Amino acid sequence: MITEYLKKLYETIRSVAGITVVLAIVVAILSSIFRGPYIIVNTVVTGGMLALMSIGLALVFGVMNVAQFAHGEYFMIGSLTAYYTFIPIERYLGANPNAALSFLAPLVSILAAFCMGALMGVLSEKLIFYNLRKRSRTNWVMNSFLLTVGISVLLVNGHQLIFGTELKGIVRYWTGRPFCIMDVFVSRDRCYAFILSVLVIGLFWLFMKATRTGRAIRAVSQDETGAQMVGIDLSGIQVLTMALSCGLAGIAGASLLFMFPSYPSVGLDPLYMSWFVIILAGMGNVLGAVVGAFMVALLKVLTMEYIGSGWDFVVPTALIMLILIFKPNGIFGSDVRGVLEQ
Amino acid sequence: MLLEVKNLDAGYGFLHILRNVSLSVEKGEYVCLVGPNGAGKSTTLKTIAGLISPIGGEVCFDGETISGLAGYKVARRGIAYISEEMNLFSNMTVHENLLMGAYTVRDKQLEKNRLAFVYALFPQLEGRKNQLAGTMSGGERKMLGIGRALMCNPKMLLVDEPSFGLAPLLTEDVFDSLDTLIKEGGTILVVEQNVTKTLDVTDRGYVLEHGRIELEGPSAELARDPHVRKAFLGV
Ligand SMILES: Nc1ncnc2c1ncn2[C@@H]1O[C@H](COP(=O)(O)OP(=O)(O)OP(=O)(O)O)[C@@H](O)[C@H]1O
Ligand SMILES: [Mg+2]
Repeated sequence: MITEYLKKLYETIRSVAGITVVLAIVVAILSSIFRGPYIIVNTVVTGGMLALMSIGLALVFGVMNVAQFAHGEYFMIGSLTAYYTFIPIERYLGANPNAALSFLAPLVSILAAFCMGALMGVLSEKLIFYNLRKRSRTNWVMNSFLLTVGISVLLVNGHQLIFGTELKGIVRYWTGRPFCIMDVFVSRDRCYAFILSVLVIGLFWLFMKATRTGRAIRAVSQDETGAQMVGIDLSGIQVLTMALSCGLAGIAGASLLFMFPSYPSVGLDPLYMSWFVIILAGMGNVLGAVVGAFMVALLKVLTMEYIGSGWDFVVPTALIMLILIFKPNGIFGSDVRGVLEQ
Repeated sequence: MLLEVKNLDAGYGFLHILRNVSLSVEKGEYVCLVGPNGAGKSTTLKTIAGLISPIGGEVCFDGETISGLAGYKVARRGIAYISEEMNLFSNMTVHENLLMGAYTVRDKQLEKNRLAFVYALFPQLEGRKNQLAGTMSGGERKMLGIGRALMCNPKMLLVDEPSFGLAPLLTEDVFDSLDTLIKEGGTILVVEQNVTKTLDVTDRGYVLEHGRIELEGPSAELARDPHVRKAFLGV
């Protein structure tokens, strides 16, 4: 029994994905020993939020076959919503201090960002993708991709026209002394952001595995016709998928408001990073996206640490090009499609 | 009549395939639709199942018009369609596929009963409960496809080529299971290449050629028909 498990574990580790993951962990530990534990801390905090972005991207690709290039804009909408929710509450708190409310205020802002992101997702699906799908499904991947670029331009310029180009940021969500973990001081915001990402990923996982609706989403990603045959309302699932995906991007944008103030094109960096992740992990592979997000985050942190901060886009991009040439399905890639399978 | 198709016209885009197809199936009947390759048999089933919207004509089920309804709504009315390629969820296990078949069943007890029923009908499936559907053999996939369709306790089955790609022995198995379903009061409309076998087991049949119904009648009579014998039975 135990030997069987060990054997299975050994097989997994020997696969490309396994080797890469083990290598990443070893590198993370070594560099943390030599340079300081902040490397792991930074990786984990950025990785968590990147995972939320990438899950959404993988989901939309796996279920709807849409190569989403407006994903960063839902991140931007999340950060904007959080800003305009948090600032008034903070101002109110300045006048009437209240401990419970000041702990809850960031959570309320993030929740608002999730709702706003989800709402925008629903609107994009209902107004745009639904109508394209009804008109024609020929050349779907290309046409829907071009539409997402259009959505992106629209939202970026919309932000600029309505809210202006200045940085709309906050210094911190949670006041209080930083936590001390492994001799590194980690700000409360970073800590809570990480905990939040783990919680959300966990909830999402449970939703996909254990609920009837989650199973329906997976079914649609594996066989649309089959899903209709068992009575699944495709358009309902498509709306829900967009809502979830954009809502998760909204959470990421809101939770990182203290690092990335909101401005029109704030979503560009997270968009590119999450695309790196899903190319690395294999498009439409949600589980791979979570692991891949931490690996890309590590790569970025290490590049900044060892090579210099101007290079943090160059190295991942070069790596992505290599992957596209040698392993176009991604390192976790499989022939069969499905959003929650490896 | 449980299912009544009246003057159905259907096709793909500008391609007009079915012309004026009318057929009907009584509750408890075992009816077949036969015809040469490309006649439009699969198209007929897809149109009834709501996966293609008809150009003209009407499909009535259980006294209500269902033509023009989306596929999932037709499925919820109690028509289970089993396509030629099965459309299984290949990255889910056999068990999960069966549970997906019961997607519209909200009653947990009913779901359990159906599961027991399907496993009793196809004992092979129970042994492979945790295998991914994508890794199963052709025969097993066929059984899983039929099993999944039965999970929602449908009023009627539409089966496309149950014997396609199967060895003779497995074909017998699949036909036996359809027989069992009929004996238990089920209603089936089956499309088949294997005309001899099909006319042997079914009650009534329709012959479809070039998108039109050319002949219809009790299966035994069709099997004796000179045109059918010449075209399909090679005599
Ligand atoms: N998705 C499609 N798009 C365009 N044409 C199609 C499509 N599917 C089928 N056809 C065409 O419709 C006609 C009827 O096809 P259909 O699959 O209904 O035939 P069939 O009677 O089931 O044949 P077979 O016995 O080979 O399965 C064929 O000429 C086929 O080429
Ligand atoms: Mg066919």
